[in-house]
Amino acid sequence: MNARDSGSPAPYTGLRVVELSGDPAGEALGKLLATTGADVIKIEPPEGAPSRYIGPAAAGAAAGDLDASLNFWFYNVSKRSAVLDYRTADGMDRLQELLSQADVAITGWRPSEWTALGTTAAGLQAGLPQLIVANLSPFGLDGPWADMVSSDLVGLALGGPLNSCGYDDHAIPPIRPGGDQGYQLTASFAHLGVLLALLERDLTGRGQVVDVAMHDCLAVSAELANPYWFYPRVLVHRQTCRHAQPTPTQPAVFATADDRYIYFALITSEQKPWQSLVEWMQSERLAADLTEPSYDDPAYRLAHFAHIQQIVEVFFLLQRASDIYREGQRRGLPIGVLNAPEDLPADEHLMARDYFVPVDDDAPGGPHLYPGAPIRFSAFPRPVMTRAPRLGEHTAEVLGAQVPGAGEGER
Amino acid sequence: MGVGSVATRLLADFGAEVIKIEDRTRIDTPRKLPLYKSEQARNFGEEVVGADPDKGGLFNNYCRNKLGVTINMRTAAGRELAERLIAASSVVTENFAPGVMERWGLTYERLRQLRPDVIYGRMSGYGHSGPHASYRSYGPVVQAVSGLSFISGLPGREPSGWGLSYMDNQAAFYNSAAILMAIRHRMLSGTGTEVDVSAVETGIGLLGPVLLDVTVNGRVTRSPDYPTGNRLEHPPAAPHGVYPACGEDRWVAIAVFGDAEWERFVDAIGRPSWTLDERFASQQARWENQDALDEAIAAWTAQRDRYEVTKLLQDAGVRAGAVQNAQDLNEADPQLAHRGVFFDMEHPVIGEARFEGVPLRFSALSADNWRSGPLLGEDNEYVFKELLGLGDAEYAELETTGTI
Repeated sequence: MNARDSGSPAPYTGLRVVELSGDPAGEALGKLLATTGADVIKIEPPEGAPSRYIGPAAAGAAAGDLDASLNFWFYNVSKRSAVLDYRTADGMDRLQELLSQADVAITGWRPSEWTALGTTAAGLQAGLPQLIVANLSPFGLDGPWADMVSSDLVGLALGGPLNSCGYDDHAIPPIRPGGDQGYQLTASFAHLGVLLALLERDLTGRGQVVDVAMHDCLAVSAELANPYWFYPRVLVHRQTCRHAQPTPTQPAVFATADDRYIYFALITSEQKPWQSLVEWMQSERLAADLTEPSYDDPAYRLAHFAHIQQIVEVFFLLQRASDIYREGQRRGLPIGVLNAPEDLPADEHLMARDYFVPVDDDAPGGPHLYPGAPIRFSAFPRPVMTRAPRLGEHTAEVLGAQVPGAGEGER
Repeated sequence: MGVGSVATRLLADFGAEVIKIEDRTRIDTPRKLPLYKSEQARNFGEEVVGADPDKGGLFNNYCRNKLGVTINMRTAAGRELAERLIAASSVVTENFAPGVMERWGLTYERLRQLRPDVIYGRMSGYGHSGPHASYRSYGPVVQAVSGLSFISGLPGREPSGWGLSYMDNQAAFYNSAAILMAIRHRMLSGTGTEVDVSAVETGIGLLGPVLLDVTVNGRVTRSPDYPTGNRLEHPPAAPHGVYPACGEDRWVAIAVFGDAEWERFVDAIGRPSWTLDERFASQQARWENQDALDEAIAAWTAQRDRYEVTKLLQDAGVRAGAVQNAQDLNEADPQLAHRGVFFDMEHPVIGEARFEGVPLRFSALSADNWRSGPLLGEDNEYVFKELLGLGDAEYAELETTGTI
C-alpha cells in the first residue's frame, strides 16, 4: 500500500449511529462502524449496558467498577456513551428525537421485546424515513422461533457450526470455539446489510429495516457442511482441530519440542510439497527412510501414509514451533503455528504492519495495545482508535444538559 | 479459493455484474473438490483426476449469479485481454498469493492507468506488506496463526480449534464490506482506492475480550486452566455446556445466566432434589461446582430427545438448543424454512441444487438469484463480444490460440 492519496474522508465520516443493542452482536457491529469513522452513540440505561457487568476487569479496578470491564472495552472502542432510559415514555420521546437526526439505529430485540417497548422495527422506521434500522436478534423478527432465547453457545448449536467443532473422540461433546464467534458472525453479516442499505439510501434517500437473525447467519456459515448435504447428501463429522469430513482423516495438529503446536495438513498426493518436506527433513537428518526411491510414487506414499505420519510427528516433536513455522513457510509449505494471544504483539510481521494500535485507556500502565483495523485503504487513513467510553460520559453533549439524568455517572 | 469467491458472491447476489476470470489450464479448486450430486461421498482432499469441472458443487455454491470467462494469463494476448476487461470494470478483486498480480504487471498504478477511479480489492492471508506477506495460508493456517485455534478447546489437552475454514468465511465477509465501503467512498468522493485485507489480522480482531486481558492485564493464556471448553470464564454462568441426548452423537446446549434463569430451569425440569444441593445455591456456587452440576444435568438430558429438551427449556425462557447438523437445518428446522434461508436453482450439468442464501432480510431490497454458477467459460462470448466489443475474427483467434 504505497501511494496514499489521502485527503478524502473515511466512508463513514459524518455518519451518525445510535446503538441500542446490549449484546455482543450489536456492539460488534457498532464497533465496525465506529472504528471506520462513524459517530456511534451507545445509549445506555442508567445502570449501564449489560456488557459492563461482564469481566474480566482491568487490573487494579475496584469491585463493581462499571467503567473497568475489558469485555465492554473490547466491543465499544471509538464510541460515545449517553444515558437515556427509553423504557420510560419521556425517554422514548427523547430517543425518537435522537433517531430523527441519525442515519443508523442498531437494535437487538425479539418481537416480544419490541412489543414491550410499544413499537416494532417497521413502526420505528416508518416514522423516520431516512433511518436504517439494523435489528440483530437471535432468530429474527418473524417465524415460529422468533421469540426463543439464545446465547453464543446455543446459537452455534442450533445454527450448525458447533456440530463440526470438537475432538476425534465423540464421547466428548462438540466444543464451542472461543471468542463469541456466533455473535461476531452476526455482526459481520449485519455490517454488509447496513452497507447495502446505505448504498441504497445514497441513491433513493430512503432508509429501511435490516432484519438480521443470528440463527440464519450461522446456518450458512459451516463452510462445507451444507454443500456436503446439498450434493452427495452426507454429513461431516467433527475431528480434532481440522476439517470435519465425511470419513476420518489423519491428525493435522502436531506437538513440538517446546510443548506447543503447529498445524500442517500432510498431503502426499502432490509431488512438489512432498519433495519440499522430505528435503527439509533430510536437512535436519530426520527423513529416516522417506528418501528411498519407492516414496517417489504417490500410490506408494498413500499405501504407507501411517508410517509417513509417524516419521513426520517425530520430525516436528524435535523442533521448536516458531522454527517449524518459519522454515516450513520458507520452503513453501502452508504451516501455521498455533499462537496464543500473548504471542501476537511481538510477532515480527504484525509489528512491521503496525497492526496493534496503542489506546490510552483507563487502566494503569497504558497506553495498551488493541487490535487494529484489518482493512487498509490507500485513499484514506484509518481513524484514530479511542478508548471505550465511561458510562454516560457524553450524555450532556449528545442529549443536551437539560436532560434529566444527564451527566449521571459522569466523572 | 473460498475467500475471493464468497466475497464477490454477495455483490453478485445484489445486482453487481461480477465476472469471474478462470484459467482452463489451472482449474479453480472449488470446481475440483469432489462434492458431487448423486455420487459416493469423498473427503474434500480426494480429488478425482479428470473430473468434469462443471459438476463441482462447491463452485456452484460459491459462484451463483456470476458470469464466467476464461483467460490464459500466461500469454501476452491473455494479459492484454484482461487489461481490456479491467478498463471496462469498476472494481477488481483478487486473492492470489502476493506477487502473482504484480508478475502480470497488474499493480494498483497500472490499474489506475486503465481505470482512474478503480477499486482494487486485495485479499490475502497476511496482507501485502511485512516480512510474512508471501507466507502460504488457507483457513486452518489463518485460524492457527491468529490465535483462534488456541483459544478453543478443553484445558490440559490439544486445542480443538475449528472443524471448518471459519476464517475463509469471515475474511470473505470483511472483504465484501471493504469493497462496499470503497464503493461508498467513491460515490461520495469520486476517487477509487486500493484495499488490503489480511485474513490473519481479521482473525486477531475476532479473538474477543481475552485479547485485552492479555494486552491490558498481562494475562498468560498458555496455562493449564485455559481454554475452558464450553464453560465460560466471564460471566460465571453455570450450567453452560453441551450435554448428551438420546441417540448416537446427539447433543443439546444449555446456557443459564443468573439466578432468575436458574429458577426457571429448575422449575422446567420439575425441581428434582439434586437442584436443592447447597453447591448449586447461587451462580457463583454453581460455577465453582460445575463438574458435579454438569454430571447431574447430563444424567437428566441423556434420557431425553434433544428437541424435547430444547422445547421444554425454551418454553420456560431458558436458553437451550439442539446441536443441529446440515440435515437438521435443511429438513427439520421450521425457522429456517419460514425465513427461506436456503433456496434451489437449476444447473445445466448438476440439475437442481440447493444454495445458502444471504441471511439478511431487507424491507426494501432483495437478492436477485438469477442463475447457478457458470460453466467453465460459459460467458466468454457475451463478455468479450458484447461487453468488450471484440469482432468475430478476433474472438475466433483468441479461441484457436488458446488465449481464452
